[in-house]
Amino acid sequence: MNTHTIDTSTPVISADDYGTSAFFADPDAIAVVTNTTAPDAVPLPSPDAATAGLLAAAQEAGFRAVPAPLAETALVARPLLRRAGLPAPDGFLSYAIAPELTVRYARPAASSVGSAGCLGDDDTLLVTGTLRRVPWARAATAVVVLATAPSGPVLFTLTPGRAALTPGGNLAGEPRDDLHLAALEIPASQVRRISPELLDEARLRAALARSALIAGAAERCVGLTVAHTTARTQFGRPLSRFQAVKQEEARLVEETALVRTAVQAAAAPLDTGGAAARFAVAAAKTQTSASAAEIARIAHQLHGAIGITRLHPLHLATTRLWSWRDEDGDETYWARRLARPLTATALWPTLTTTP
Amino acid sequence: MSPSTLAPIAFPDVTLPESARRLRAEVRAFVDEERARGTVLGRPDSWLAGWDPGFSRRLAERGWVGMALPTEYGGAGRGFLERYVVIEELLAAGAPVSAHWVSDRQAGPSVLQHGTEEQRRFFLPRIAAGQCFFSIGMSEKSSGSDLASVATRAEHTADGWRLTGTKMWTGGAHVNDYAIVLARTDDTEDRHAGLSQFIVDLRAPGVRVEPIHLMSGEHRFNACHLEGVDVPDGMLLGRRGDGWKQVTGELAFERSGPERYLSTFPLLVSLLRELERRPATAEQLTRIGILTARLHSIRRLSLGVAAALDAGAAPDAQAALVKDLGTRLEVALVDTVRGILPTPADPHATPGSHPELLAFALLHSPGYTLRGGTNEILRGIITRGLEQH
Repeated sequence: MNTHTIDTSTPVISADDYGTSAFFADPDAIAVVTNTTAPDAVPLPSPDAATAGLLAAAQEAGFRAVPAPLAETALVARPLLRRAGLPAPDGFLSYAIAPELTVRYARPAASSVGSAGCLGDDDTLLVTGTLRRVPWARAATAVVVLATAPSGPVLFTLTPGRAALTPGGNLAGEPRDDLHLAALEIPASQVRRISPELLDEARLRAALARSALIAGAAERCVGLTVAHTTARTQFGRPLSRFQAVKQEEARLVEETALVRTAVQAAAAPLDTGGAAARFAVAAAKTQTSASAAEIARIAHQLHGAIGITRLHPLHLATTRLWSWRDEDGDETYWARRLARPLTATALWPTLTTTP
Repeated sequence: MSPSTLAPIAFPDVTLPESARRLRAEVRAFVDEERARGTVLGRPDSWLAGWDPGFSRRLAERGWVGMALPTEYGGAGRGFLERYVVIEELLAAGAPVSAHWVSDRQAGPSVLQHGTEEQRRFFLPRIAAGQCFFSIGMSEKSSGSDLASVATRAEHTADGWRLTGTKMWTGGAHVNDYAIVLARTDDTEDRHAGLSQFIVDLRAPGVRVEPIHLMSGEHRFNACHLEGVDVPDGMLLGRRGDGWKQVTGELAFERSGPERYLSTFPLLVSLLRELERRPATAEQLTRIGILTARLHSIRRLSLGVAAALDAGAAPDAQAALVKDLGTRLEVALVDTVRGILPTPADPHATPGSHPELLAFALLHSPGYTLRGGTNEILRGIITRGLEQH
């Protein structure tokens, strides 16, 4: 994969420019960032990269707080388009899993009246409803939408410019925009009927992409914290020499290792699919979301006051952790999904399905 | 990934060999047989408390004791990851593995690595046959975390060594055959030097074993008084003065295995069995899911250490990390299970019932984060590991 070697001793991005809402309000600024050839840019991986490589890139993006939907494009939108048999537009993409959208066929066939509505002479759709908090919608070339049509699950691409956009953001200032669709026509060429399995795969992909981002941000917390406790001197010695600090730092490292391994463990199952994928991804998102609080807590505690300011890049990681743990399903959602199939006899065989 | 602060304590990803998959199925079939026989009872902490020499021997007949030892010494010549699969299956089932536990995990590998040819030929086939059980004689009254301060002395005599001192927490010394004892052989400026390991026959004259009862009332540990015990020259293990190096060199094996996160797993199985009587609530599912995700993640880290050990690395910081995470989970699991299905712990309830297993796991729980190195010490090893760029 085409990655750069980066000097992590310097702030990775000029964080505070990216952290302001003014910056995110300006789509051109995002375009500049994503087209940058700066040495600290994280390139969008090739669509042909293996899942493990895509996860590594997403982790890198999380580590660097990359202001672009890299993970969303590489791990979610593009693979879903490929699976559905649609070409992937150039540039950054986003996604929305929206079973609550009202979807009708634009050209109903008189012969096909069913309980859910009419099937169409072709697959042109009329879509009404709001896609909530779509990641980076304002900066995406296209949004891959998964919804339910009268025929069953469908996937279609939407150019954000065709919808009314209400800007929004998460705790880190990353765009999370609402897209309002009022009987918007989606041409049949942009629509594919998909299996319920692909709809579920979309949820898994989104959760795992988010987990990889969390793992990257967690690792950034470790890097920044170790750098700080090594450099900062109080009572005549570096903070890292204090037992109380070491104890907390070790727990931070442990929790981060746990998060990383949870993501890594889901890479192979995602490719094979089935129950193994459902378990490994649910475990990954449960673990990464559940660990976010402890990781952010320790990183901030060991940074002291400077960490809660924009003078220091720590907030780039911690605000993302606090948002990403809720996005694409929080630990409560995924823990329930994880636990539902478990029985006394199924528990151990499930845990040992992989590696 | 970019150059990382975590790079010095990386965990390799693991793929188990196909042979391990087959082995797992064989172990499950064996466990089912033993369960039918009434020997595998799904009890927590079975590697400390499940003492059944008959079970150990039947396990040995399958080649699953000392299984990583070379075949020329009676072992099965299997890989470290294959041993891992056997161990985790047995612990998850709550099988009684404590009789051969130390001889399988420590004594065997230790004799293989440091022992003389004569020691190997004598001990290893017996260990692999499940006929020779070991205890560990390291800690003393004033030497807990600070192991290098041991006061037990070994004086050189005309035909060997005379050992004097008292070892504490010597698990199974009242039922086992031998103990590996760490003693001071030389007074040196560097207190880590001058220590040596000995294989002590626990039935030798001068060995007096005094029970130390756990708060549950169980007799697992002992004070092992060595009152001028004569040990032949041939029972010095490894080199005189290398005791510290030999002891600390094995810690990664001791700290990262499945016994560091599965000790209370059978209690979770018991909980799920209880919950099958009625539909679980959303809140119960949430807590079970969070626990399961953590178990799964810690298992992967533990397997990563096993893979690193298999490849000949010395992942000391990683092993310390697994032990801290894993044993804290063992403790938390007990409390979480209690919260998911409020049950008064009852040591007098029917053995194997949920309230009895809960009581058992609870009374054992303070030990999980102490044995094998207290977790506070382990965290120091983790941060030291980070500095080794």
